[in-house]
Amino acid sequence: MALFDIRGLSFRYPDSDKNALDSLDFSIEQGEFVTLIGATGSGKSTLLRLLKPELAQNGEKSGEILFCSKPLQELKTKESAAKIGFVAQSPEEQIVTDKVWHELAFTLENLGARQADIARSVAETAAYFGIAPWYRQATATLSGGQKQLLNLASVMTAEPQVLILDEPTAQLDPIAAARFIDTLYKLNRETGVTVIISEHRAEELIPLSDRLMILDGGRLIADGSPREIAAQMKSDSSYLSYLPCAARIFASAGGAGECPLSIREGQRFFREHYIGQGVIPTKKPSEDRESALEVKDVYFRYEKDAPDVLAGLSLTVRQGEIFALLGANGCGKSTTAAVLSGLSKPYAGKVKLFGKALKEYKNGSLYRENLSLLPQDIESVFLRASVREELRGCETVLQKLPFDLTALMDRHPYDLSGGERQIVALCKALRTNPRVLILDEPSKGLDPVSKKQLADVLLRLKSEGMTVLMVSHDVEFGALCADRCALFFDGVLAACDTTADFMNGNRYNTTAASRITRGVCRNAYTGALAAEALKGGAAT
Amino acid sequence: MREFHDYNPVAVALYYLGVTGITMFTMNPVILGISLFASVLNYTLYAKGGIKPHLFSAVLFCVLALLNPLLNHNGATVLFYLNDRPITAEATVYGVCAAGMVTASLYWLRSFSKAMTSDKLLYLFGRLSPKLSLILSMSIRYVELLRVRWRKIQQTQKALGLYDDGNLIDALRGRARVLSILITWALENGIITAESMDARGYGSGRRTSFAMYKIRVSDGILMLLCAVLAAGAIIGVHAAEVSYYPTIHLQLTAPWSIAGYIGFAVLAGLPVMINTKEAIRWHYLISAG
Repeated sequence: MALFDIRGLSFRYPDSDKNALDSLDFSIEQGEFVTLIGATGSGKSTLLRLLKPELAQNGEKSGEILFCSKPLQELKTKESAAKIGFVAQSPEEQIVTDKVWHELAFTLENLGARQADIARSVAETAAYFGIAPWYRQATATLSGGQKQLLNLASVMTAEPQVLILDEPTAQLDPIAAARFIDTLYKLNRETGVTVIISEHRAEELIPLSDRLMILDGGRLIADGSPREIAAQMKSDSSYLSYLPCAARIFASAGGAGECPLSIREGQRFFREHYIGQGVIPTKKPSEDRESALEVKDVYFRYEKDAPDVLAGLSLTVRQGEIFALLGANGCGKSTTAAVLSGLSKPYAGKVKLFGKALKEYKNGSLYRENLSLLPQDIESVFLRASVREELRGCETVLQKLPFDLTALMDRHPYDLSGGERQIVALCKALRTNPRVLILDEPSKGLDPVSKKQLADVLLRLKSEGMTVLMVSHDVEFGALCADRCALFFDGVLAACDTTADFMNGNRYNTTAASRITRGVCRNAYTGALAAEALKGGAAT
Repeated sequence: MREFHDYNPVAVALYYLGVTGITMFTMNPVILGISLFASVLNYTLYAKGGIKPHLFSAVLFCVLALLNPLLNHNGATVLFYLNDRPITAEATVYGVCAAGMVTASLYWLRSFSKAMTSDKLLYLFGRLSPKLSLILSMSIRYVELLRVRWRKIQQTQKALGLYDDGNLIDALRGRARVLSILITWALENGIITAESMDARGYGSGRRTSFAMYKIRVSDGILMLLCAVLAAGAIIGVHAAEVSYYPTIHLQLTAPWSIAGYIGFAVLAGLPVMINTKEAIRWHYLISAG
């Protein structure tokens, strides 16, 4: 008996003339780990929400969804709340109450469980998920990763048969995301709970999945084991960027045999097939450029008795380069962005922009024609009800962009997808003609295609003379566009190098491609470079 | 170590309600004296606020004590005349007692707010109504979220150069816009929270309220003890005769009253005594171990 049986399911939103989902037919067995991938707007969220009756959106639905052989809509509210768990993207807003223990108890309280049952379930769950150390804390004090773990744990207290997750790790840094995915995998193996997850984070997730489904324009275009699907990609590469790096290298180099998925498998594949010189030549970026942003021995702390967040930070960003400051979440990267952009004042040290101290820019001239900061919470950029109003005065900026935003002009900024939002916010930041752009986590929550797009925009800006400093946890994104990368740790830079040397030098904080090619071929730090090295290895 | 504030919130809340109530509804100088002394001691044992609250209380005490004789000219014994108005001994004594009453009540309430963290208040309300308790819990969370958010939007707008502080009108306009987007944001994200509640079965039937606190035997004993002592104090207050106008008439030493004072002193000093006892016990446990 299948857990979900979906028969001829189509769905159309009220104001749309196109089906968001188009005659889907599939079933999901109890205990399966299913990963759903697809571009923004491919219908992933719509499908996942239809599987959870409380969250199904209004619209025209045809076809059937059977849950344990019974139509889903016949499920009682209490049953569907308990048996079908749902975790959404935003860690913050899903939390309802102010204390961790209360949040854990929330689901069972709603179901009217007895005090003793709640106590047992809450205790067990807190211990299993490692929540015990912060059990009594206020939810506001948790990190993003802890919040999302709490959301998952809180759903698990009701012992659901299936967990549906809609991009749960999009807002998390790689380490927190990996931990979340590990927990999910462990839950799946140890309790047999079925997992249906939509996610862009292919690297960790796909090797663990039993099954991969690809949605394209509301249609299911691929459904099978990750290896089968990766093998198909050799002929059709449109979804290649959604696969793990090992599979990307395999497919674009036209590999034969079994497709590698994990880093380890990728290493073996690369070792066996690489016949080049062991190094890809790189260009050294010129050292003689003048500095745009100069930071010297900067110290910063939030309160008098608090520990230093920046403890003697020194760095130089040269004019016309893209500089990536990389590090884990919560290590003070956003603080660095705030200090470098003059929003927070360091208690010692100097920050100079084009040779002039930040405080010498009087009357807000710092933020006009000199520097612009795009924050992590991109929603805080938007103040108006439509993109058109938001971008008033940005016409010249729009002309320079490599793509067209006209289709978005009449939408509310909050209704845009993550990638669209980032681009619109970027335009707004460029309105004041800054010479230096500071970006805080620009790639957060973006699908691989939008990431590539954003990287292209940044490279384009660079070619026009813009200096970009980005602060990010996303090593892969840094590899896509940065000239130099630095590792931020314990208030200072632990390493600072050209992107190639940085990726070669790091063992953990480096791209998947760099880990795969380690020891065999130097400087192959992106999937494209690695595939290139495989194909034309002998030539160079 | 089970300090007084670790007792069940119901017991702690009833205790503070009791002492504050007795203090507020009597003008008996003995009771007020005990209450003032004990409340300051009690507050000082928990508060880490430094000297500021004490300073404020001292000023308040003086102002209240002086205000009564200046405004109220009742009483037979005239001390002196100020601007042809009689300042009477009765009004002065009454003023000091009233000031003591207000100050003591204030200190009790301060200790109460220190003891009753949001968790405990929610537990108290949760026993009355699970829904009310949830609404309170969500409000506490939302106030903090909005505060953080407000600061973020302001910073962002500043760093984008779109927010001019130089001009008052512009600054006000900017703030109005930030406020409007804050509300949009709150509503937008409110939907996500509402969905998360729906998805977890909110509104699917009768709610229960999970509590971290249990009522133990010792809580019962504490409540019983408090009730007995409070009853004694009330009887004692009634047995005494206290009136300030036209002349001060105090009949404070009836046997029942004496018993009542002792009862009240024990009641008012209970938290301090319990904590001292626990501290001593802990000390000996450590020494023995």
